[in-house]
Amino acid sequence: MNVIETKDITYHYPDGTEALEKVNFKAEKGKIVALLGPNGAGKSTLFLQFNGILRPTTGSIAVDGDLISYEKKNLMKIREKVGIVFQNPDDQLFAPTVLEDVAFGPMNLGLAEEQVEERVNEALKRVGMDGFEKKPPHHLSGGQKKRVAIAGILAMRPQIMVLDEPTSGLDPRGASQILKILYQLNQEGMTIIISTHDVDLVPLYADNVYIISEGKIIKEGSPQEVFGDVKTVRGANLRLPRIAHLMEILEKKDKMPFEKPYPLTIGEARKKILKEFEE
Amino acid sequence: MENTLDGYAHSNGLKNANVSFKVLFAILTMVVCLLSTSPVVPLTITILISLILIFKARIPLKFYLKFLSIPFIFGFLTFVFMAIFFGTGETWFNIGLFNLAVYKDGFNLGLLVFARVLGGFSCLAFLALTTPMTELFSVLESLRIPKIVLEIAMLMYRFIFVFLGEAENMYRSQNTRLGYGSLKNTYHSLGMLMSNLFIRTWLTGEQVYISMESRCYNGSIRTLKPQKNITPRNILMLISFESIMIIGVYLTSNLKFI
Repeated sequence: MNVIETKDITYHYPDGTEALEKVNFKAEKGKIVALLGPNGAGKSTLFLQFNGILRPTTGSIAVDGDLISYEKKNLMKIREKVGIVFQNPDDQLFAPTVLEDVAFGPMNLGLAEEQVEERVNEALKRVGMDGFEKKPPHHLSGGQKKRVAIAGILAMRPQIMVLDEPTSGLDPRGASQILKILYQLNQEGMTIIISTHDVDLVPLYADNVYIISEGKIIKEGSPQEVFGDVKTVRGANLRLPRIAHLMEILEKKDKMPFEKPYPLTIGEARKKILKEFEE
Repeated sequence: MENTLDGYAHSNGLKNANVSFKVLFAILTMVVCLLSTSPVVPLTITILISLILIFKARIPLKFYLKFLSIPFIFGFLTFVFMAIFFGTGETWFNIGLFNLAVYKDGFNLGLLVFARVLGGFSCLAFLALTTPMTELFSVLESLRIPKIVLEIAMLMYRFIFVFLGEAENMYRSQNTRLGYGSLKNTYHSLGMLMSNLFIRTWLTGEQVYISMESRCYNGSIRTLKPQKNITPRNILMLISFESIMIIGVYLTSNLKFI
């Protein structure tokens, strides 16, 4: 079942620029979907359609099977189901302390204070930020801020978590911590949608990949399918994962017997190379 | 970030003391300073609070002296002017310059104002250096300050640091490109920095609103605030300290230095 499905959505900015053009995007329940695209391709604009912050000029969006209706009550329900973690944590963390920020979402859901407290504690523990409750955000590092931003959404217990470039600007360890958290959440049944340009990480976690360029979806499928179409990937200002690129060079320049589909991860490459040596 | 007022407020020896206790202590002690008609009690309070801040809250002496120097200079100037210009009665001695003289009542009044400035300021310093702004908000809320005022204050507090960071980055990048090489360049660069910061404020405001809306914001900011009740021990300490000070005020009420 698709928890998010857009049908031919087109979006024009008030000044007339076309940001999205006939976008059909589906996220299946319990999957991790990656949205790949260069800067300015329309990733963030598309994400803001998912919880009704922006309203498509034409086309429609269904969340959990129901079309979004843009009245306040329904929007609140949609935003409870679909949580968005924004790219810059400084845009999201507005409260003077971590505790107050993470409590903001659940308080808005109208929960009792004890329940809010329980959710806040749980969310902070999930992201490994327990013990930082009383800190103000400006005393945290970039990675810590990002984790608090994620906790702020987690505390609302959404079914679908949408993350805009969750690993950008983080060091490798910070990035892999975030991905580990997301992977665990997904194992527990949460649907996760991520926008990124980190092509090396995509094959590691994504079940499905979309490539968006100039407001249009130009490719979709499993990581193998998408990265198999080398021309489209490069045409969208993206590149192959390093491993796949190495395999491509070994095949084309050194005439080694690694034909398509190229392995995308270290694990796949290892298997393929070992097999080649055994023969 | 560590050597700022905000940094010390969040990491000092008294940060875990009860907030209401600290606020009450600061306000009551300040009132006692203002009630006193002789400089003895305010100066005693200044010394006591300074000792508490340096030994109990472990604020570095250098930082504290720097912090105190501004009101000290201000208070001292007031003292000098009052001693010379505010007297009406008997003169104490002539300065021998422009026919100026120090009056006895002027001197006493000036000393009292100076002591009150220092005493009152040390109470404020106590609050500022031991209590994070964030905890003050919850006290203010229980004092029935209008919610809208508190919400704006909360957002301002948070974004002061965001924009401070951005301004610092912009300043450095301008400086890297020699933007502050000459006076003319300095004016130009500073102007650009300010206008850019203004636009940035606007855009960030919009982004924050979107991200708040995504978390079901509906016009009023509701958050959890940790509430700790003031303990009987704190109340006892408070009452005994303030009583001793008030007795001191009473005993010294007619004391004049000259």
